[in-house]
Amino acid sequence: MVSSSKIFRVVVLVLRVVLGAVFVYAAWTKLRQPWELFAMSIDAYILLPYWAVVVVARTLPWAELAIGLALVVGRWLRVWAGAASLLLLVFFVLMVRTYVKGMQIDCGCFGLGDPISPRTLARDGSLLAGYLFLTWAGFRDRRKAA
Amino acid sequence: MKVLVLALAALLPCLAASSDADPGKSLGSPNAPIRIEVFSDFECPACKGLHEQILPLLMKDYIISGKVFLVSREFPLRMHQYSREAAGYATAAARLGKYQQVADTLFLTQTTWEVNGKVWDAVAKVLTPAEAGKVQLLAKDPTVLSEVQRDVDAGIAAGINQTPTMIVTHGTSRFPVAGAVNYNLLRSMLDGLLK
Repeated sequence: MVSSSKIFRVVVLVLRVVLGAVFVYAAWTKLRQPWELFAMSIDAYILLPYWAVVVVARTLPWAELAIGLALVVGRWLRVWAGAASLLLLVFFVLMVRTYVKGMQIDCGCFGLGDPISPRTLARDGSLLAGYLFLTWAGFRDRRKAA
Repeated sequence: MKVLVLALAALLPCLAASSDADPGKSLGSPNAPIRIEVFSDFECPACKGLHEQILPLLMKDYIISGKVFLVSREFPLRMHQYSREAAGYATAAARLGKYQQVADTLFLTQTTWEVNGKVWDAVAKVLTPAEAGKVQLLAKDPTVLSEVQRDVDAGIAAGINQTPTMIVTHGTSRFPVAGAVNYNLLRSMLDGLLK
């Protein structure tokens, strides 16, 4: 008989690796091309001044890579899952805002050909739910350890 | 004088354009280190912005100096009622070396013909009566219609689903640039590729 806590641990492990890989993939799609392409995707949201667009375009893919790798490794889960949740929450809010305003632009999530649509909102919403679950799992484990 | 000759040479349709580029729709030297294919739709407002604001800067900074070879491609979207007709006239005009003039006027008067549907009125303004007759005939020519469709097919094959989209090619690397473009960022990217 498999205990429920063991199933929970397996679910967390699978989610951690899959969602970590998603962040690594998102970073890879941006880092393999000139940074200006991602900057143009950010600029299309018409939200940030030019200098901020440049800063975000040059740093965000590295942050995504670090968070993704840390999730796969699995240390300090609540910290990295929390960071991923926060980041994705910001992305998600911006995407919803853009969709509601009727702007037809690429989401900038995984390279070209990914315009903001109900499909991309559902995808990122599901991912956000996954990261939030991992964050909760991280805090739950810490409480148990204490 | 020398600069003027060079500029004119770049502005003329490229007789030696590579086989898959319509010479009448190309600008600059086909031997340029960077090739940019612009997939656009004459009825799309962002394409108008690209054509009127970004392309003149590209021309001044990169095309005349032989750094960029620009190829215009048609990508009329289904949602736009008259854009395929406009693409047909522009492609027909390219056979007479009048593509840029027709493209200029189609974008300039976009807000008029997209409402009243009188695409030909806009095109005819920049053609002589003799040219107008030829363009009207050519616009119905199967080779012109298939050229427009070839551009559309090439765009779909490249994963394009919005206009304008530029495909920037440098060596074996291809980078798609979709939507409205910030020229400072485009310039930074092109300069980085040219280094």
